[in-house]
Amino acid sequence: MNPHDARPVLSAAGLSLGYGSRTIVAGLDLGIHAGDFKVIVGPNGCGKSTLLKAFARVNKPTAGHIALDGTPVARMKGRAVARRVSLLPQSAVAPDGITVGDLVARGRHPHHTLLRQWSPADDAAIAAALQRTRLTGMEKVPVASLSGGQRQRAWLAMVLAQDTDIILLDEPTTFLDIAHQYDLLELFAQLNREGRTIVAVLHDLNQAARFASDLVVMKDGAIHAQGAPRAILTPELIRQVFGLEADVMDDPQSSTPMVVPHVRAAV
Amino acid sequence: MSGLTTQRAARRHGERAVPETPPTPGLPTGPRPPRDRAPSTAGPVLRLGSHIAVPVARRPLAVGTALVVLLLAAGFMTLTLGGLGIEPSKLLGALVGGAEDGKQAFVLGHLRGPRLVVAVGAGIALGLSGALFQSVTRNPLGSPDVIGVSAGAGAGAALFGLLLPGTASIPLGSVLGAAAAVGLVALGTGTGFGNPLRMILAGIGVSAMAAAFTQYVVYVVARDQATMLSSYLNGSLEARSWEHAATIGVVLLVCAVPLALLSVPLALSEMGDDVAQALGSRAAGTRRRAVVLSVVLAGGAVAVAGPIAFISLTAPHIARRLARSGRPQLLLSGLTGALLLVIADLVAQQVPWAQALPVGILTLGIGGVYLGALLVREFRKGHA
Repeated sequence: MNPHDARPVLSAAGLSLGYGSRTIVAGLDLGIHAGDFKVIVGPNGCGKSTLLKAFARVNKPTAGHIALDGTPVARMKGRAVARRVSLLPQSAVAPDGITVGDLVARGRHPHHTLLRQWSPADDAAIAAALQRTRLTGMEKVPVASLSGGQRQRAWLAMVLAQDTDIILLDEPTTFLDIAHQYDLLELFAQLNREGRTIVAVLHDLNQAARFASDLVVMKDGAIHAQGAPRAILTPELIRQVFGLEADVMDDPQSSTPMVVPHVRAAV
Repeated sequence: MSGLTTQRAARRHGERAVPETPPTPGLPTGPRPPRDRAPSTAGPVLRLGSHIAVPVARRPLAVGTALVVLLLAAGFMTLTLGGLGIEPSKLLGALVGGAEDGKQAFVLGHLRGPRLVVAVGAGIALGLSGALFQSVTRNPLGSPDVIGVSAGAGAGAALFGLLLPGTASIPLGSVLGAAAAVGLVALGTGTGFGNPLRMILAGIGVSAMAAAFTQYVVYVVARDQATMLSSYLNGSLEARSWEHAATIGVVLLVCAVPLALLSVPLALSEMGDDVAQALGSRAAGTRRRAVVLSVVLAGGAVAVAGPIAFISLTAPHIARRLARSGRPQLLLSGLTGALLLVIADLVAQQVPWAQALPVGILTLGIGGVYLGALLVREFRKGHA
């Protein structure tokens, strides 16, 4: 899937991230290539969400830089970056009283200017995003009255309306039941097949292994391993990174690696 | 799915072979035939040439028009009611062609004219200030009153009234006091204006200290000036002059352009910093600009009318509920603030039991009831 001969569309070079004096990611290098479905996994606090947010210029690097098609993002305008890279964050707040249509329409902001706050492509992009997320006809419904699964799809519709070729997803399936989780993951896979580059932070290793074209395993703010799930996901790696004893076998459905933790003896 | 994605894919991946994956049967979100006509979610769009296109929301526009009409009616009543009121039939002539007699000149030029203009200006400023604060703190209780702007202004007024006797010192002191209170709150949170809940908690502390200081001045140090101070400290529109009207007018003019520029980023910031940043906006910058504008507007209102309570808390709420919109309603909040203050002042002037009562006491009473109702609603929703 990924002949890594081409130049990456999105790359981090010597990237350090942190809040105040606390360093979370130190000197990290990572390249994301067009057409990737890259999944970042790692234990809590390993810096995976912080890294993802830095790619969407949410947090500023303390050292190093992020480049989009070779141009440092810091030198680009916010809207120019946002026309290429979108983010579905974990901590999104739906303002009181906002409707699905209004929320999704806000994804069009990067395509607007100060005086042109509506563009001819808006309607088509919004309609397409609503259709993808099966929310067509629900434009007037308040976001607050949606179910958990619908709400996450409404946020995703906002991200799709942004119409970027790179989509970043920060734990997009958290808090959803298992059917809704696979529903979304299949949609991401479909978007990827249509040519969008996807970078997702996931918690579930089996889901990561099933959907990722390329797995990035992080530990303590650095990349511990990277490559195709089948090549890198071993009992050894899971012990080193997560401190968990597990077997790795073939997923009977997808033939991708599947992690089965050992039963621990009762203490 | 429309041709949007596929065209894009073809463009971006012209040379790269994207492997064909067979479509999964029964995939719930698979491609569907494009619809003939996409539903317009933007509603009507105001267009001027090819470079200006702004979506217009119908309901807020209608609400704004209604508020202006009500404001004109309240203003008309302010100038015409009571023994000193100008006869309704002669008001338009007097406003356009100048006063016919000494009484009209006195009422329009001194007694009620400036007072009405100050009420409108201060009301707009308070409504805007509250809308900005509630938006950046993402909290319906996050008004400048709650984080100590009014109490700080009161303490500043008391201190300056004591140190520098004179007419200009009290408004000056109130603005400096308001700024000092906000500065203390920003220091006290340890995170500047980044954490709304901490701002409100720090504000309660700063308010209490400022109120204690004001009481100390009023009761112990400045007993002679206490009567004059106490009227000012409650917020009053008695004996306003055209200088007061000009002051608040200049404040509003200075803030107009930055406010217009802030409207869109503010709406984005309400969805959380991460979303705002990812959409190409600057969340921290938006918050800083909004807080500065809010303090300038509240300070301006305090300088001309004293710390009038609760307008900045209630006006944005009422505006938002009327507009039924998920956006911060800056303009409507300003208009609502003006309407509330003009009506409160009309009551203070014309209703017998409220005669000569500082308008701030009236808004405090009404606002207190509103705050109580709001809290009960928030508790029921489980937000507070």
